[in-house]
Amino acid sequence: MSEEKNTVSRRSVLKGAAIGGAGLAAGSALSAGTATSANAAGADIHWTTRGGGATGDAIAKAVNDAFTAKTGTKVIAQQVNSDDFQNNFAQIMQGSPDDAFGWMAGYRSNHFGEAGLLADVTAQNKALGKSLPASAVQAATNPVDKKQYIIPTTYYPWALHYRKSMVKKIGMNPESINNWDDLIKMMTLTKKNGLVAYAMGDKQGWEAMGTFDILNARVNGYKYHIDLLNGRAKWTDAKTKETFKYFAQLVPFMNPNFMDIDWDGCRDLLLQKMCGAMMMGSWFANDFKAKSQKDYDDLWVVPFPEINKKYGIDTIDAPLDGISVAAKGKNVEGGKALAQFWGSKEGIDAAVKAGDTNIYVSKDFDTSAYDAFGKQKLAVLASAKNIMFFADRDARGDFASPVLAPALQAFMKNPKNINKILENTQKQWEALPKQ
Amino acid sequence: MKTAVTIPKNRNRRSLSKTDRFTLSAFVGIPSLLQIILLWVPAVVTIILSFTYWDGIRLKDIHWAGIQNYKNIFFNNPIFYQALKNNAIWLAFFLLIATPLGVLLAYQIDRGIKGHAFYESIYYLPVVLSLAVIGIIWNFMFQPGGFVQGVMGRDIGHAISIWGNSKINTWVILGVASWRHIGYIMLLYLSGLKSVDPALKEAAAIDGATDWEIFRKIILPTMQPVNIIILVITLIESLRAFDLVYIIYGSPTVFPLLNLLVFQNFAGQGISMKGAAYAVILLLLCIIPIITYLRIVFKEDLK
Repeated sequence: MSEEKNTVSRRSVLKGAAIGGAGLAAGSALSAGTATSANAAGADIHWTTRGGGATGDAIAKAVNDAFTAKTGTKVIAQQVNSDDFQNNFAQIMQGSPDDAFGWMAGYRSNHFGEAGLLADVTAQNKALGKSLPASAVQAATNPVDKKQYIIPTTYYPWALHYRKSMVKKIGMNPESINNWDDLIKMMTLTKKNGLVAYAMGDKQGWEAMGTFDILNARVNGYKYHIDLLNGRAKWTDAKTKETFKYFAQLVPFMNPNFMDIDWDGCRDLLLQKMCGAMMMGSWFANDFKAKSQKDYDDLWVVPFPEINKKYGIDTIDAPLDGISVAAKGKNVEGGKALAQFWGSKEGIDAAVKAGDTNIYVSKDFDTSAYDAFGKQKLAVLASAKNIMFFADRDARGDFASPVLAPALQAFMKNPKNINKILENTQKQWEALPKQ
Repeated sequence: MKTAVTIPKNRNRRSLSKTDRFTLSAFVGIPSLLQIILLWVPAVVTIILSFTYWDGIRLKDIHWAGIQNYKNIFFNNPIFYQALKNNAIWLAFFLLIATPLGVLLAYQIDRGIKGHAFYESIYYLPVVLSLAVIGIIWNFMFQPGGFVQGVMGRDIGHAISIWGNSKINTWVILGVASWRHIGYIMLLYLSGLKSVDPALKEAAAIDGATDWEIFRKIILPTMQPVNIIILVITLIESLRAFDLVYIIYGSPTVFPLLNLLVFQNFAGQGISMKGAAYAVILLLLCIIPIITYLRIVFKEDLK
């Protein structure tokens, strides 16, 4: 039963192995050996780069080297596969974690912070002072214990993406899509032109949450959406059903094979000029740039249009990333200092110089050198006053992917079943252990 | 009763030397100890955990849940029944189609039909690949933008829905899984067939038995030990199916299987002891039929 590994900490597994077999015992002795050597070397800091390939490594090296140059403390970095790191996060944090690493705000830092796995970095955020906007600090604060377990650094908008040349050909202007009727009109036109009107790929199950988030926020407002994801409103409420009425109108405009492709399939639809609108996080723009500058220049992004006048376009999904510090790392204070450096002007400058195209929340971040698409991203972000983090960060982990993801898939496969699906979702929410 | 009494007497009479005793206890003891520590202790812990609420982090957060996890799975989780259905179809397909096909192929090849060496190697080829690799290969073939879609002249926007189409995906996945399973069974059966005394078959043929009669009355009974192995392997392979589907979908929800649900509820932020409950259900499904079957078979053998 290899699944068992997930329920016991890595340490206790190693302990068990030490009793079980001499070979494995040697393994745990080895890891104990590295622990002592790290302590002997003094204040070395260990850093984990979460994915990002060569660019990720280059950025980490630039920032960490700048930190070493400033403080004289050596930083030892390693890159890990992002999904593996995420799936084994609790085990890694309870074993011998690196001191600091890139991580995600919302439920993903709050939950592990409360459980004592992430260090409190409230003081570091305070030290960064005015450079951090109040909204970012607020977003990084755990609503339960009011502590901060992450130093906010970058974010990106989830919004409607188009290719300028294509909408022009059809005779529409995405900038003029102000409300739901405009969107439907635009999608009808795109469909008539033989294109996919609303690109969707939900093979992995999380992608459609972006569409659900924005529809619910547009129809019922930010507060209701967050309440719903935290159990203060019900999935069976008339308000929730109203959101799904709009969602159901979108389904006929989607590519019928949405269960066969994931987000990069959607990206390819847009890249190969086969779809009109695509609701997606702007991170994929780098892939357009990698294809050609012409493709990148053709890309545009606008906020999802208004549905309910009461809420306008005041909310956006903009997942906030940042730096967290392992509470059980060997050099917690060093980790905190390094994390703070990543959020400071010097750190950001080093990262940008090394090729980081992310938008930093810091006011010290220089946006003047931004290209047109980058500036438009900022404008889209600025149009909203409430920031959501995406359903799988706003809701608890044992609900988002095991319950909400299959519910959305079942809904898109058969929108008529919505009442039954929502009833069931509510039942599953109520069956969750109290927190 | 008679045998039960005589056997211990025989054993008592045979005395073992010190070295024998040491070797025996080492050879039996060490594996048993490892088995208990690495397999049965975690299994028992899983069973206990399946009756609790826990996020897998701090021991002090464990709460007693009674049968709530199971109740939740059985009454609120439509995906559980989809998974159960998929596993059942998988098992039925393997038992009724893939495994018999493998046996039939082995029989034909053993008879030395024309070009049997060629058939043997092409059917054996997929067996050297792990299911994960097979998943990568066939995903590349069938996914939108993949090879087969390209040959049909369909781009991503117009690609035929295969993996996501619940009307056909079961059969496509089972076809891909059988691609390997048939070769595997063929290989196992072939090695057994090689050890059947050809004189038996010749004698039956001289007595005027048809091919089918020879297969049914001579081959199958002589192959009884191999048959058991093949049946058990088919059962386990069907119930533990995971890697192929996980590689193709990257998530457990489009084509749920019990093992995928165990993983989803045990890994990462989704961790809850519902995963343990799924694991226990799967464990019971695996061992109950196998133990029952083996007991029946061994009882018959004793007679």
